[in-house]
Amino acid sequence: MRILNRQHALAMILLLCLIEVLLGWWTQRPWLVACAAVAGCWPMLRLTASRAPSKTASVPGKSPSPGKPTVAKVRAYVDPTDSDGLVSQMLAEGRFALLLRSRIAQGLSEAQFRQALDVLHETMGLVPDGAVIVDPTDGAAASHQQALTDMPAGANDLAAGDEQPLRVLGVAGRVVQVQRCFLDRYPVTNAQYAAFVAAGGYEQTGLWDETIWPAVLEMVDATGRPGPRFWRDGTYPEGMDDHPVVGVSWYEAAAYARWVGKRLPSDAEWVKAAAWPVPQPSGLPSQRRYPWGHSMDRAKAHLWGSEPRGTIAVDRLPEGASVGGIDQLIGNVWEWTRGNFQGGLYQPGELLLPTPMKSIRGGAFDTYFDNQATCQFQSGENPLGRRHNIGFRLAVGVCDLTLVHPTHAQGQATASSSDVRQGHAAAVEVNA
Amino acid sequence: MTPSSIQPLESYRLAEYAVPIPCYICGVGNTYDAEFCTHCAGPMALAHQANSQNIQPRMIAVLGPSGVGKTVYLGMLIDMISRQSRKMQVFSRGAFSVTLQQTTIAALARCEFPEKTPNEPDRWNWVHCQIRLPREKHPFELIVPDMAGDAVMEEVDHPHTYRVIGSLLKKCSGVMILVDTTQVTAGEVEQDFFAQKLLGYLSELDEKAGARWARQPVALVFSKADQNEACMNDPAAYAEAHLAGLWRQCRERFPLHAVFAAGVAGACAIHDSVSEGRLQIPLRVEPRGIVEPLEWLLKHLPRR
Repeated sequence: MRILNRQHALAMILLLCLIEVLLGWWTQRPWLVACAAVAGCWPMLRLTASRAPSKTASVPGKSPSPGKPTVAKVRAYVDPTDSDGLVSQMLAEGRFALLLRSRIAQGLSEAQFRQALDVLHETMGLVPDGAVIVDPTDGAAASHQQALTDMPAGANDLAAGDEQPLRVLGVAGRVVQVQRCFLDRYPVTNAQYAAFVAAGGYEQTGLWDETIWPAVLEMVDATGRPGPRFWRDGTYPEGMDDHPVVGVSWYEAAAYARWVGKRLPSDAEWVKAAAWPVPQPSGLPSQRRYPWGHSMDRAKAHLWGSEPRGTIAVDRLPEGASVGGIDQLIGNVWEWTRGNFQGGLYQPGELLLPTPMKSIRGGAFDTYFDNQATCQFQSGENPLGRRHNIGFRLAVGVCDLTLVHPTHAQGQATASSSDVRQGHAAAVEVNA
Repeated sequence: MTPSSIQPLESYRLAEYAVPIPCYICGVGNTYDAEFCTHCAGPMALAHQANSQNIQPRMIAVLGPSGVGKTVYLGMLIDMISRQSRKMQVFSRGAFSVTLQQTTIAALARCEFPEKTPNEPDRWNWVHCQIRLPREKHPFELIVPDMAGDAVMEEVDHPHTYRVIGSLLKKCSGVMILVDTTQVTAGEVEQDFFAQKLLGYLSELDEKAGARWARQPVALVFSKADQNEACMNDPAAYAEAHLAGLWRQCRERFPLHAVFAAGVAGACAIHDSVSEGRLQIPLRVEPRGIVEPLEWLLKHLPRR
C-alpha cells in the first residue's frame, strides 16, 4: 500500500513536470523547459528502481531495512559449447562432486579435473572408515565390549555410505561400521543455496521426491517466492552470504544435495566425523564428547549465551574444528542428517512422535544445555519443518568419486571439448 | 530415684512466643517457630527474611491452568537470568529459592519436564530473589511463587479455598497469565475461558482491585509458542485473532497489558512407560521469549 502511494506521488510529480515543459515550450521560455526536464528525471528514476527486483536485508523476526542496494541474483548464461565455462560455472556453484563422477570425469581435461579435485579437498574433509558408537547411553561400556567381540564374520562388508547397525544393544546404543566418505567442512551457506534457487532448483521436479511435490509449492520465503523461509524476494538478508542457510526443510536439503551431486550424511558418518573414534586394543573405540576434546569449551562453539544472538558466519570459531578439520559441527545450527530420529536419550520405540521425524545433530546458537550439544546427542524434527536454527551440510562417498584422472588410470587421451559437453549433459541427467 | 538435672529457663523464648510474627502474604500473626502460616499456609521464611533484613519484597504472580507450563517457565526464567547477567542480575535469597530452579533445570537437562506442582500450598516453591537492573541505583526484592494450576483455578471458581492465593494476589504488583499455545492452535476454547476467569477474579478481588489493576501491569504470555511461528512473530495479533474474549477484557479492564510469546522446547514427544504412563518430554531445550515478559513487568511496576 505504501509503495503504491509512493508510486502515485512520483507519478504526480512527473505529470506536473510534463505540464511545466509544455508550458515552457508554449510560452517560449527554454529555462523553464530545462528545469522541468531535470526535475522530471528524479521521479522517473525512482519509479524504475521501485519496479526492479530488490535484495533487502532481514533476519528472522525482523523487518528488512529500507534503502538497501538492490542486487538481482540471476544465474549467468553459459554457452553450451564452452566447456571451460561450463566447468567454471559448476565449480562456482559448488557442484564439483558431479564433475568427479566417473562418467563426467572422463570428459574433463586434466586441468579441469585437477581444479575439481582441489575444490573437493579445500571444501570437504575426509572421514576415515571404521567403527563408531552411535547414541550410547550410560553404563553401556560392557555391552559395547560384548557386541564388538560378538561381531559376525563379514559384518563389515557394507554398501557405500550406508549405516548398518551391527547389533542393537538395548540400552547400549549401536556400533556402526562406516565407509570412507567426504564431509563438508562448513554447513551450506546462504550464498551456496542462492545458486540453487537461481538455477531454478525449486522448479526441477527431478530433484525432489515425488511424494513431496505438493508441498514444494508451499516452500516459499517471506515474500512468497521459492526459497528458504526467512529470505525475502528470493534472496537472503544483506551481509549474511556466509551464514548457514536456515529455514529449509529436510526435503529442501535433500534436493539441494542432489543438485550438487552429494547427499545428506548418515548419523553414523556425522558422529564419526565429530567424535573421531580411535580403535582400542580392547575393541571398543575411544570417542570424543566434543570435536575438540572431552569437556565443553563455550569459546569453541556458538551456543546459547554466545554473542551475537542468531547465526554466525560458517568460518568463525575454527578452534572448534574436529580432528579431521571439519568446522562448526557443534553449535551455530542444528544439521539435518539422512537418518530417522531414533529417540535421542530414550530407547527406540519408547517415544510416540507427533509426526515421523528426521534426525538433527550438533546443537544451535540457542541450545541451552551442554549435554544437548555433544557429538552423540540426537534430536528430531518434522522433515517438513523449516526452523530458524536448522541447516545442513553434505557428504559424498569416496567410492562414488573418481579421485585419479582417467588418463592416468586408463591411459586414455585427453578429453575433447565435445566430451566435456557430454559430461555436462550427463551431469544434468544425474540431477534429473 | 530419678537423678536431678538443671534445665535452663530460656525466658527469651517465651518472649519470642509472645510476639506474633505477621505472615508476609496474608498478615496474620504466627508463632516464632512456625514454618508455614497457620492461616494461609504461606512460608514464614519470607516474613523472617523481610524482618531480619528490613526489606519489603514486591510480588509477582504467575497464573494459569494446570499443564500450561508455569513451573518450566519460572525455573527457566530464573536460570536464564542468573546465567546471563548483562541486562539484569539476580541473586536468590535462601536455599528454598533455588529449589525451583534446581528441579526444573535438572529435569530439562535430562530431556524431561519437571513433576507437576502439588496442590498443597506448603509444598509450593517460592522464589525470593534480589534483582539489580542495569540503570537502577538500588536493587529490589522480588517474590514469585510457583503455584499449582489446579489450586489457582479452584480458588478462582470457589474463592477462599486457597487463602494464600487470594492474599498473594491482593498484594501483587503485577501478574503474568500463561496461555497454552498448542491448545489455542488446536481450536480448544478452554484456555480463553481460564484466562478470562483469572482476569475477572483479579479485578474483583476487593473493592479497590479495579482501580489498582488499572495501573498495574498484566503480561499475557503464550507458553509453548515455539511450534507456532505466527504466534511467536506477533503474539498480540495472534491473541486478537484467537482469544477474542480475553483480548477484549484485557483492553477494557487492564489498560497496562502486553502480550508475549515464549517457548522452551524446540520439539516434544510422548514418552510411553509402564511405570509412569504417558508423559510429554522435550526433545531439546532452546528457550525463546522467556525473559522479555519479566523485563516488561519490572519496567512497568508502579513506583512505591
